[in-house]
Amino acid sequence: MSFTKKPGGKALDILQNLPRITLANLRPEPGTKKAEKKRGRGQHGGNRSGRGHKGERQRGNRPRLGFEGGQTPFYLAIPKYGYNEGHSRRAQYQPLTLNRLQYLIDLGRIDPTQPIDLTQLVNGRGVTIQPQKRDYGVQLVGEGAGIFAAKVNIEVQMASEEAIAAIERNGGIVTTGFYDPRSLAVLCKPVPFFLSGQPIPKRMLPGEDMVPYYTDAANRGYLADPEKIQKARIALAQKYGYVLPDISKDELFHMLFMRKDPRQIFFGLSPGWVVNMTEKKILKPTDDKLLQYYNS
Amino acid sequence: RYAGEAKSGILASTEEYKFVEQLISPSRVPFPPKHDGPSPFGWNPPSEVPLALPHMICRSRMHNVPASEKDVKEYLQQLTGKHLPTQVNEVTMTFRVKGHFDTALKEWLVKKGF
Repeated sequence: MSFTKKPGGKALDILQNLPRITLANLRPEPGTKKAEKKRGRGQHGGNRSGRGHKGERQRGNRPRLGFEGGQTPFYLAIPKYGYNEGHSRRAQYQPLTLNRLQYLIDLGRIDPTQPIDLTQLVNGRGVTIQPQKRDYGVQLVGEGAGIFAAKVNIEVQMASEEAIAAIERNGGIVTTGFYDPRSLAVLCKPVPFFLSGQPIPKRMLPGEDMVPYYTDAANRGYLADPEKIQKARIALAQKYGYVLPDISKDELFHMLFMRKDPRQIFFGLSPGWVVNMTEKKILKPTDDKLLQYYNS
Repeated sequence: RYAGEAKSGILASTEEYKFVEQLISPSRVPFPPKHDGPSPFGWNPPSEVPLALPHMICRSRMHNVPASEKDVKEYLQQLTGKHLPTQVNEVTMTFRVKGHFDTALKEWLVKKGF
């Protein structure tokens, strides 16, 4: 289209000069409407009307779907196995490729100078999480490890080894943390939660099956020993063949080492606090029992 | 009603509110930061000087590269050696080309300076 003065262009000009459009003036494009075959009428639709010659076919008495004339049908011969058993209760982790992360950082939707959290990813419309649909968070996938070049402090729920290696190669930090469904909903949509006036809940610890994952230093779990994590970083650098950059001498060192407490959902905000957005205040409880509960 | 009610109070503070402000999502699409040349992802910023051309193609809302009908048809004909079917939608100012051309077209448009 050449440089137009208004949207629509020639089509709208033509429309304005023609007479009023009514059903009498309209006709479908030739070739779009094919006449349907009327059964029981004419040379081709009549006679047996497309039903064949005698038998169950013509008389409409065929057996049920799947019946094979008496032979054990396929759907009964094959034994049952629980491939999809409990599929609706399985935890799902939305994948986040390093390609996508690099794209978001390049276009300014995610700020690499702040710790990258699931809230930041959702705010930058990087991922879409549905906590109500058994999503337990985001998993970092290694696709795009070759072009990834950003130093970030990122917190996800699961991460593949190549992804961890790619991020640490660029001088970043990866942590895997667990969020139970209620905390995840709060994390993904903080503003509606604050407007509801409830105190920030404390994050629950992972269930029995996920504890080994989050206490393992190889997965950079948030419950793992920091010394073991350091050893794992060195081991991974040797495995993938890169020099591990020294983060302690970095200018963003303080930001890169920011980590959340295992019971904390948001950076800087403790469980038990109520946020008042209209007055821009935070209300903290002072009762001993409440403090004991929220700090446990 | 219970003994604790009279004693327990609430501390209000405005110091930690800055953490809440970090959690609020921006309402407008942010402007991409300055890159010298192509970014690591391969996204090219639009050229600084607007070129004198009969058509102006603006970047889409997410700062990606869209694609103009006649030039595209000529370019694809050079590339593939065939006439390709295209469909123009005047109202929404878009058009579609049959076939997988997105990377080739993107590079060509970027070279032109959009």
